[in-house]
Amino acid sequence: MSAMDPTEIFRQEASELFEVLEGALLDLGQRPDDRELVDSAFRALHTIKGSGAMFGFDKVASFTHEFETAFDRVRKGEIKPTQELISVALAAKDYIRALIEDPQSTDDIIGEAILDDLKRFVSFDQPAAPAVQIAEAPPLVPGDSKQAGWHLYLEFESHVLRNGSNPLDLLEDLCKLGPCFVVPVTDGIPFLDEMEPEDCYLKWDVKLHAACDKDAIDDVFMFVQDEMKLTLAPLEQVEAPAPGPLFRLLDEEPAPTAETVVAVAEAAPAPVAEQPAAKAEPKTETAKAEAATEPKAEIKREAAPAKRDDVKQERGIATVRVQAERLDELMDRVGELVIAQARLTQLASSGSDLSIKMIAEEIERLASSLRDTTMGARMVPIGSLFGRFRRLVHDLSRDLSKPVEFVTTGEDTELDKTMIECLADPLVHLIRNAIDHGIEDNATRAANGKTEQGRIELAAVHSGAQVLVTVKDNGGGLNTARIRAKAEEQGLIAAGAVLTDHEIHQFLFHPGFSTAQTISALSGRGVGMDVVKRTIENMRGSIDLSTRPGQGTTVTLRLPLTLAIIEGLLIRVGEGRYIIPLPAVEECVELTAEDERSRGRNFLNVRGNLVPFLRLRDILSVDGSPDQHQKTIIISTGETQVGLVADQIIGNHQTVIKSLSKLHSDVTIFSGATILGDGTAALILDVAQLVALAQSKVEKHISEAA
Amino acid sequence: MALNPTEPKWSLRLPADCSIAAIRNVYELIREAFGRQERLEIDCSSVDKADVTSIQLLLSTAKTGEAQGRPVVLTSFSQSLRNTLRRAGFASDAMLDQHLPQKKDGT
Repeated sequence: MSAMDPTEIFRQEASELFEVLEGALLDLGQRPDDRELVDSAFRALHTIKGSGAMFGFDKVASFTHEFETAFDRVRKGEIKPTQELISVALAAKDYIRALIEDPQSTDDIIGEAILDDLKRFVSFDQPAAPAVQIAEAPPLVPGDSKQAGWHLYLEFESHVLRNGSNPLDLLEDLCKLGPCFVVPVTDGIPFLDEMEPEDCYLKWDVKLHAACDKDAIDDVFMFVQDEMKLTLAPLEQVEAPAPGPLFRLLDEEPAPTAETVVAVAEAAPAPVAEQPAAKAEPKTETAKAEAATEPKAEIKREAAPAKRDDVKQERGIATVRVQAERLDELMDRVGELVIAQARLTQLASSGSDLSIKMIAEEIERLASSLRDTTMGARMVPIGSLFGRFRRLVHDLSRDLSKPVEFVTTGEDTELDKTMIECLADPLVHLIRNAIDHGIEDNATRAANGKTEQGRIELAAVHSGAQVLVTVKDNGGGLNTARIRAKAEEQGLIAAGAVLTDHEIHQFLFHPGFSTAQTISALSGRGVGMDVVKRTIENMRGSIDLSTRPGQGTTVTLRLPLTLAIIEGLLIRVGEGRYIIPLPAVEECVELTAEDERSRGRNFLNVRGNLVPFLRLRDILSVDGSPDQHQKTIIISTGETQVGLVADQIIGNHQTVIKSLSKLHSDVTIFSGATILGDGTAALILDVAQLVALAQSKVEKHISEAA
Repeated sequence: MALNPTEPKWSLRLPADCSIAAIRNVYELIREAFGRQERLEIDCSSVDKADVTSIQLLLSTAKTGEAQGRPVVLTSFSQSLRNTLRRAGFASDAMLDQHLPQKKDGT
């Protein structure tokens, strides 16, 4: 077991936090009044800041701190998060991500520019913030100074530092509320031998001379409220600072005198006035809350019970973070086990020992459930992928001035993690296409009586052993005539050839095919859909387009649940054995003597339908004479059916897919290989390629006949 | 406790990073140094990154030294360490002296 690099752990954690942050910011654009979103954004920021500092990402910590400070007015509810503000916040998030992932590529100037923007937006409505604030704030009653202030005792739980919180930052935040006198309490410091250097032992006794609200103090500690004991008591009056062990925090001059402290207290009225709902009588407030039995009462924190419940729930779900490659390794081992088990089963069935047969069956059952469990462990909800498209849609919608509503469903649908990784790029292409080509511009939409806001739906749903992912827009639909014209222009079809709409749409998947009139930064270069199709087919999936003129286009991706192990149909052609993926198999029929005779035609009559067939013996160049009773396996991809003629159908087989070596990368009709029970290898036939091959033969046949 | 100039002493220079990310190593260094020599002098001039854990470690070192009757002296606090101490409330030299035995320049 190798230990993970802590920096790498931080990067992973941060990347999850960035998703939370981005999601919250984007949602905030739609629901600016949702306090929970602001809080969740702040929690993510705060954790990034804390862990960043802990793992030595100082730039991240300091920038995030600035970001937090600038965004603070949003948190306080003083300003509404506007679209512009959210865009800047997203840019800031990107900058922090760059600082973590590739610090070399960033420049401090970018960070400063972002912060300037951020500051400009948050202070837009009040250029001279402090002056206005003071003017707006209710004038301080002269007598206020008598009971202004709080006496705090801070005691943190021992693990608080490991979680990335920094009590010194909290003290500093506290100082922003007003003049603060911080005394460290060192009683808890243990001897060296008893010490855990990362634990927190220091405690603090703080006198805060500011008539601020208790909520303002709670706000400072909101992120650590579950990890500390905060004792809060109102200060009766401004105490003359004792010359003893009371020292002002952040003072540049050490050992301040009583005069300087008082001067500071008087010279800093702004932070005092800044508290929007400064309670004139902090004492009565405490009396209400604490029944005023003791002068120092421990504050029971009930400020946000709902939020805390959430946290509890999150903690309740026990999850373990495992390196992805370990899961891959586990899957490999399970694959080997399945192969070994197949050999055992074969051996047992050839013998007559009943007990061996029973054990073989038992192991088969166990191996099969182990395979399912392992595959389950590799499953990741597709929602983790969907999240990142929200940003894409947000940015594209802004850049193209096409307001788009982005709806996702089925985020809980699970897919093998490798599939999720492979799926990201194709989906980016499809969503870009949907916004760039699918959704019409505002004028066209208005003319067609559509809502101004376009709609893109990204959905995932389980369907048998497959997952269907659909990208649906409510735009103008595909322009079949234009696709046809372009196909004719490129010489892909003869002018006037009779083709169904569906067939014409397939040209979109042709390499270099684009009907876009102008090449934009986003799409129109004709690279894209063919790459999408190839990627999906490499994942043993299929892609399908359907469109309704004026109403929109739906692209459906059908994907297998996993890439590692599939159910296959084992067949024999000559001496060799091959696997056909079972989901592609529709039925198996015998090749009749009549079909056998029609050598030239290569068409099979299946209940009245003509289905082209391929003789695998011919394709695989098998010598010798074929078996007497040839079998045909009807396979299909979507709507096209093709028959494959083999010598024998052996049965279904759990196929552990082994990829072919680079030497075989140009062999198109095989998608991989597997090891059979007797230790020999069998090749896996690539269904999509065989169907394409059959179709090209049919076309050749038709043109020859013509 | 008077310092005997003839007594063998061990000077330990703290590394630049004394923050929580590296504090475990610093802790081991100090414990090791404690085991070696009777008198320990800790040079804090290179400390560039410090936080609560650095302060706690120094406090504990001083406390342990005092309890065991073994002199521990801290020398030349770096600006960064001073700032951190000040942020934690150790705002004056008097306060520092109370908790951390320092050797002033020239003494």
